Amino acid sequence: MRGYLVFLKKELFEYTKTYKLLIMVLVFVIFGITNPLVAKLTPVILKSFMTDGIIITLPEPTAYDAWMQFFKNATQMGIIVMVILFSGVLSSELSKGTLINLLTKGLSRKSVILSKYTCMVLVWTVSIALCFGLTYGYTVYLFPKEDTPNLLFSVSCLWLFGLFLLAVLLFSAALVKSSYGCLFITVIVMAACIIMNIIPSIHRYNPISLATDNMGLLVGSIEASSLYDAILVSSLFSMIFVSLSAMIFQKKQL
Amino acid sequence: MGILEIKQLYKCFGHHKVLKGLDMDVPEHSIFGFVGKNGAGKTTTMKIILGLLKADSGSVTVCGEEVRYGETKTNRNIGFLPDVPEFYGYMNPLEYLKLCGEITGLTKSRIKTRSEELLELVGLKDANKKIGGFSRGMKQRLGIAQALLNEPKLLICDEPTSALDPIGRKEILDILLAAKGKTTIVFSTHILSDVERICDRIAVLHDGKLALCGTISENKKRHRHNGFAIEFENEKDALLFENTEELKHPSINLSRDGNAVTVLLTDSNMDGHFILDVLSQMRIVPLRFEVMEPTLESMFMEVVQ
Repeated sequence: MRGYLVFLKKELFEYTKTYKLLIMVLVFVIFGITNPLVAKLTPVILKSFMTDGIIITLPEPTAYDAWMQFFKNATQMGIIVMVILFSGVLSSELSKGTLINLLTKGLSRKSVILSKYTCMVLVWTVSIALCFGLTYGYTVYLFPKEDTPNLLFSVSCLWLFGLFLLAVLLFSAALVKSSYGCLFITVIVMAACIIMNIIPSIHRYNPISLATDNMGLLVGSIEASSLYDAILVSSLFSMIFVSLSAMIFQKKQL
Repeated sequence: MGILEIKQLYKCFGHHKVLKGLDMDVPEHSIFGFVGKNGAGKTTTMKIILGLLKADSGSVTVCGEEVRYGETKTNRNIGFLPDVPEFYGYMNPLEYLKLCGEITGLTKSRIKTRSEELLELVGLKDANKKIGGFSRGMKQRLGIAQALLNEPKLLICDEPTSALDPIGRKEILDILLAAKGKTTIVFSTHILSDVERICDRIAVLHDGKLALCGTISENKKRHRHNGFAIEFENEKDALLFENTEELKHPSINLSRDGNAVTVLLTDSNMDGHFILDVLSQMRIVPLRFEVMEPTLESMFMEVVQ
């Protein structure tokens, strides 16, 4: 327990000192601010391209457009930035040998895995919360009096998907030596999830539904209850992957 | 009882057998020089002692407690200095020692006093910059400081001097020598003069086993050949001596270089008197007559070949 807390402190210190936290937060803050703006300004920008003779009819932008931007950015660029940033979570310490010192000081390997996961989850939570808060504030300001149902639930689903993804990432990092290998396995798992999503009966349980059905939840085309199974599966698999990472890392020859 | 005991240790990487039944016993308060060629398995042995690598078979005991792979319980008695120590570049030495101290569970005040003591000892007291800007020698010193932080009973150093300049080497050796009273030191190297300078015991790892083990003086005694270096006044005498009938014997090895002749007697019944007799019969007084002491180098070469 002591090792866990000490190492967690070191991890947080590292993320601030190596600007990883700053990059994550900046990316998500920029998205948070631009999401509603882009939604609001897109018609204006398009209008400026219109010349005589071309008439494009554009619907008035709504809060839905802002949230569409939010979920698009967070699930694409946001997740990609996060995965790349965290891909060296174990490999950088192992290849440099900085971890060996601390392990020979009696730090348990389990603590390393758990504190690394906790720290990644913390960074992800702060980033997505900031992004959500900013988008929410601007959306309320730019599109007042518009109600978006299931919003918090939808964002929570996305957050949980992040936790699942980080567990996969940690698992791959424990499995292979290089950060590229870690990225590769994570991408393969994600690709498998996306491909399996084609089969309708699996969609219900597929963790990736948590990152694809968000808009459906908002506009009401998807019932919140239809995602309960996916939530269960994601939570379960996150725990399994983290435990597996700890087990693999315990037996890893360093 | 030794502070570190290794029994019948086997380890292979793929088809390459690195350790083939290594037995080693390190008594308390010794400085133990662990010598071997590159790739002989020194680092592998150390990593097994630290529980970082899994041995195929055999046992390692530290302070009477068996080392279990993947666990770090026995490591509380060990301080380790890796061959190329790497630290978090964004920390300064005090921050790093604080992290190490917190992991080992020292109290705040203890960490503070120990850190200051050790930074003073290794000469990094005024280095307040980030470790990222440290030279190799500075990192090596910080490595010693972190290894000694929890006052370990056993200090393991993996080639601590191999990458340093002569002054840096001397300083590191002095620091190790200063630590001798408080801890047992196992230190791997392939620089034999370093062993000669600070170690009282030596072990030579060759072909997966210890080819030589014990105190240095003991080994020197054991490996003392009846070797003599004789220098003559001129080449004529040397030639005359070299070609004496009495010395033409399979157990006598002669080699001449100018005025000097080296004699190696492999028959234990013969000794220096025999040669002195030969010289007096020939009525030659040599300029110099010397009994050759075995050097660590010659011992090493002998057991490794």
